[in-house]
Amino acid sequence: MALVPLTYNLRSMLVRRSATLLTVLGIGATVAVISGVLALQQGFERLFAASGRADLAVIMRQGSTDEGSSILDREDANALVKSSPEIAEDEDGRPLASMESYLGVRRFKVDGGETNVAVRGIQPLSIRLAGAALKLVAGRHFTPGSDEVIVGAKLSGRVRDCQVGDVIVFNTTPFRVVGVFECDGPFASEIWGDVERIGAALERPVYNRIVALLKPGVALEDFAARVEKDEQAHAMVESEREYLTKQTRAMSAALLWLGGVLALIMGVAAIFTATNTMLAALAARTHEIGVLLALGFRPAAVFCAFLAEAVLLCLLGGAAGCLMTLPLNGIETGTTNYQTFTEVAFAFRVTPQVLVVAVTFSLLLGLAGGALPAWRAARMNPTAALRRL
Amino acid sequence: MPLRLVPRNLLKHPLRSLLTLLSLAVALFLLCLLRSLVVALDAGVRGAKSDRVIVQSAVSLFVFLPESYQEKIRQVEGVAEVMGWTWFGGYYQEPANFFAQFATDSELLFSMYPEIQIIKGDARDFLADRRACIIGDQLASAYDFDIGQSIPLIGGLFPRVDGGVWDFQVAAIYRSNSSNVDRKSLFFHYDYLQQSREEGGVEGPPGIGVFVVKVKEGEDPLAVMGRIDALFENGPQRVQSCSEAVFQAQFVSMVGNIPLFVGSLGGGVFLAILLAVVNTMLMSAREQVRDIGIMKALGFTNAAAFWVILLQGLLLALAGGGLGILGAHAVSEPMAQALGAYFPGFAVSRETTVVGLVISLAIGVLAASVPAWRLSRLSTVQTMRMEA
Repeated sequence: MALVPLTYNLRSMLVRRSATLLTVLGIGATVAVISGVLALQQGFERLFAASGRADLAVIMRQGSTDEGSSILDREDANALVKSSPEIAEDEDGRPLASMESYLGVRRFKVDGGETNVAVRGIQPLSIRLAGAALKLVAGRHFTPGSDEVIVGAKLSGRVRDCQVGDVIVFNTTPFRVVGVFECDGPFASEIWGDVERIGAALERPVYNRIVALLKPGVALEDFAARVEKDEQAHAMVESEREYLTKQTRAMSAALLWLGGVLALIMGVAAIFTATNTMLAALAARTHEIGVLLALGFRPAAVFCAFLAEAVLLCLLGGAAGCLMTLPLNGIETGTTNYQTFTEVAFAFRVTPQVLVVAVTFSLLLGLAGGALPAWRAARMNPTAALRRL
Repeated sequence: MPLRLVPRNLLKHPLRSLLTLLSLAVALFLLCLLRSLVVALDAGVRGAKSDRVIVQSAVSLFVFLPESYQEKIRQVEGVAEVMGWTWFGGYYQEPANFFAQFATDSELLFSMYPEIQIIKGDARDFLADRRACIIGDQLASAYDFDIGQSIPLIGGLFPRVDGGVWDFQVAAIYRSNSSNVDRKSLFFHYDYLQQSREEGGVEGPPGIGVFVVKVKEGEDPLAVMGRIDALFENGPQRVQSCSEAVFQAQFVSMVGNIPLFVGSLGGGVFLAILLAVVNTMLMSAREQVRDIGIMKALGFTNAAAFWVILLQGLLLALAGGGLGILGAHAVSEPMAQALGAYFPGFAVSRETTVVGLVISLAIGVLAASVPAWRLSRLSTVQTMRMEA
């Protein structure tokens, strides 16, 4: 079967350029909205899940869903670390485990309004456990036991008093900012200081979690199973990756749901648009279709030609949509982590997955929108079509 | 003016007109729901009472205040009454079943919050039973809870030492006639929480979440807030008093850029649909060139030609938009049920309806005026010469 040359479609689209352009832009806007939502979801998920380490154990109170609600008794926490031979040791035989506290505190944003910023009280080992993921970009680390803090780089431009040399008051105690750090994951939106000093200032002398490195060869699952069976400990263990992935679940699901609903609803509208454009094209080109059929092209070939034109139109729209989304890549925005109710800054990520979804979506739009007009074109009676001018 | 041409022209290509109408309907449906979502964010702020003041920790939303503060605040000049309000943070069966629970001073609850009205059961039963609770009507219908039933909650913030669940007996179901009190919450006795903590069966932070203060009539709430803040200036916990509206607004501000985000989505939807309708109108206008020429040859004015084209666009836009708005109203109630815990007060308001109609009208005018203007200015001879 001889196919109608694609140049026929391309030239027709060029002849009706204003209609083509409007359709492409309209479908582009639809695709851009959906890929924008997906880029947001990707950015949020990557920030958390991609940064967590699988070999780092996070110990929290049994039944808690996040650090904020996990409150560990100090003695219990120390006893748990001492009685856990699974935890790796440093050169001097001390366990590689760090006690941390966590609290969302009120801070003012640079551009007005209040937000909750996570303040993490740490022991010096936390910095060692974070390893290469944490880099100081300005100033120095805080001195253990002093009223000094370091702040995440993502806070510097967004939240007041978060530059080196500034003073942050927690309750009634002033803390001096001595450094700014960059770190993978949500940590770059946090303030870090000495766990004892922060606990004293906030009148909250508790630990919220323990991070620990396990000895080589110890499976995290085995350690978790043993701790959870321990009646005394009231604790549970997850890998850091697992913990951070859980934090994103609700937000990710909500964004994916939103993206899906939008894709469905707006997709229907976009299919109508594509169908309309093609129907109008058909009406204007009835004579041409008659010529094609008279030349001996099979109805199937005519069907393919018009379906191809619709697909091409929508793929162009998809490409336009992707182009509209690309500038979003890397733009930082803040949102609340609904598990801990603290603000995290993250960036839109137009990942290859987003683009693949966008292109597939526009392809489907083209197929669905082009089917009816193409079918109509193929069923035209050549004599009747030729008579129409 | 040959008005009959307007519906006739629209019906010339019934399928195309229908598709345009339906895509407009879809777009307006979406725009109305998106706008309602943004409006719902502010619902708590709009419903807030001006004579109520909230006293919260100045340090953190998650830090509780000492119980002793209640008596101290009550002594402050201009304060009529003080009630504790503590976030319980439990969940029903699994964390995904999210709804708010609050421990309050129950004997004060109904006088402090007259907007809470019992619609089923008896408030006296609630006050008489230590483990009783009242629940919102939306919560009751969401999980099929009813009076006399007990609701087992897992204490997220206040876990029981034995690993068991909290049990709350439903004594009454309330409805709130104001958007600042959500209809999907559970209220129970602070005394029950306090006693459980004292007996050692429960872990969790001591103290009270926030205090709700009723200001005496005629007193300036701002002055009262200043006095309360000054009282605890030097600790042990500094406090920050604010009006109920500001308290609600801080949650909205924490949610961050949702209005901007939803606004951009809406903008995208609007743009997509505007382009689609402009396109349809341009295409159908091109097909009407000869008809317009004939009209003019018969002696109709440019204005008549202009209106015939414009009215087609307006009619299509209003019919499609209206259909979409009706659709949004139809799903408003189920949406409110589904989103109740996150967006209390979700509803497609009358204002949203009006905004929707204005947007439909704008799309119709924008889309139809360009081809209408172009066609109406062509000379008769030109139009007759042009190929359709």
